[in-house]
Amino acid sequence: MLTLTRLQELLERGEFVVTAEVGPPHGSDSRMVITKTDLMKEHCDAINITDNVRGIPTMDSSVCSHLVIQAGAEPVMHISARDRNRIQLESALYGAHALGVRNLLFVTGDHSLLGTHPEAKLVYDFDSIQALQIARHLMSGTDLSGQKLEGIPEFYLGSTFNPYADPIELQIWRVEKKRDSGARFFQTQAIYEISRFEEFMDGVRPLGVHVLAGVIPLKGPKMARFMNRRIPGIAIPEEMISRLERAGSGLTGDARRKAMKDEGVEIALETIEAVRSINGVNGIHIMAVGWEEVVPELVERAGLLPRPR
Amino acid sequence: MIAMELKPIKEILQMLEGYEKIVLFGDSGCAQMCDVGGILQLEDMEELLSSHGKIVLGYVFVEGGICDGNAFKLSVANKMHMLEEADAYLVQACGVATQVVTEALPAKEAFPATNTQFLGSMPERFMHYEKCSMCGDCVLHLTGGICPITRCPKGLLNGPCGGAMNGKCEVNPEQDCAWQLIYDRLKALGKLDNIRKIWDLRDWSPTHKPRKIEVTGDSMMS
Repeated sequence: MLTLTRLQELLERGEFVVTAEVGPPHGSDSRMVITKTDLMKEHCDAINITDNVRGIPTMDSSVCSHLVIQAGAEPVMHISARDRNRIQLESALYGAHALGVRNLLFVTGDHSLLGTHPEAKLVYDFDSIQALQIARHLMSGTDLSGQKLEGIPEFYLGSTFNPYADPIELQIWRVEKKRDSGARFFQTQAIYEISRFEEFMDGVRPLGVHVLAGVIPLKGPKMARFMNRRIPGIAIPEEMISRLERAGSGLTGDARRKAMKDEGVEIALETIEAVRSINGVNGIHIMAVGWEEVVPELVERAGLLPRPR
Repeated sequence: MIAMELKPIKEILQMLEGYEKIVLFGDSGCAQMCDVGGILQLEDMEELLSSHGKIVLGYVFVEGGICDGNAFKLSVANKMHMLEEADAYLVQACGVATQVVTEALPAKEAFPATNTQFLGSMPERFMHYEKCSMCGDCVLHLTGGICPITRCPKGLLNGPCGGAMNGKCEVNPEQDCAWQLIYDRLKALGKLDNIRKIWDLRDWSPTHKPRKIEVTGDSMMS
């Protein structure tokens, strides 16, 4: 079977896939993306480029995806429905394809009230499901008005789900709707508590899609509490937070920070181990959010090296 | 009704700077129900403006709404002398009202005393909640009488986003997730199939401004 990307090839071949996220710079520094890509490209199969997470403006995700290609890795370009209308989306997809981007991941996008630009006018012309439909439509050779395209883009389409979101039945239907709109792979919100993820996977498994379980390594209890409070869809159990706290107790300064970070890595490794044994999970997606140095360590210690060729 | 709030007094005084003789406008419709342009609020405004050296010549209080052309004409008919004497008009009603006054009485400037907010319900006095976005293509028959376009902050049509947890919204943990409400209601009605199918890309052109409705001849209910 002909595959469009390495990510697709590995997933369809049944390899346990590793992807990791690079947050684009809050500015025009192109070296940051290349440096972060270099740091982890031997440890993962594709590198995700986020799209203005929480409505905080960062470098354009298609430009950063192109930088990932220049650095010798395969990008997964995120596209948030929040800030674009259909005219801009079609335009962005032509450009992304021209820049060599083939993996697309659609998200609805956190509400911009939660970010640094709450004064912005909201767009939400479509949701992630309808965005997938637009991408699939373009791949058929015409734009939404029916006009024939000068160059037909091809993409491997993906999206996200959050196993902790409610109501669970409706959230699983959304995964099905995304699949029916063309999504072939999914990455999840960060997994901490396992049983709810298992329950959700019971609903996802019959849909026959590829799932990458999200992993965000915790640096300490402060980060965990911040995420529970401020990042939509995150549910870090209280006992995990106390575990991080206990790791640092009796210590101060750098020693304390290091002990808590080490514990965060342990928790992440346990999570990776747990999700690997869940039927229907085809890989992991590491979101290091500014702690990119941890990615090679996690992948190595999880026994996921060398990556398949 | 149209929900609205009075602008900060400082802003009202700023816009009236240089104008001495003022006529106040209010109505018994949305303006009164929102406690911005009922008789009581016109009296309060008169007192306030007087204390800042203005002269309030009187009121135009429309029974119904200033937006109703006929009701408006009847209310100003016997007040033309006062309206001519005024330096400016202050409209304690919605943005439509200020524009109606502007168009009907163009010789003087009409200023808005309110910020017009949304189309909402008023379960009790002083409490207003947005319920309708006037999208021009109602979906309430499919969503159990709960509007996702308005009550979901993202206006999602294919179910809740990944930020919906424990029935609450990611934008505000006090706020119910509209899709949880829709799900619960449709489940109770045995109509979950309504939201199981994909909601295709929506035509937003009915929201393009400025909109108008011009019913002609016998087209209504025909």
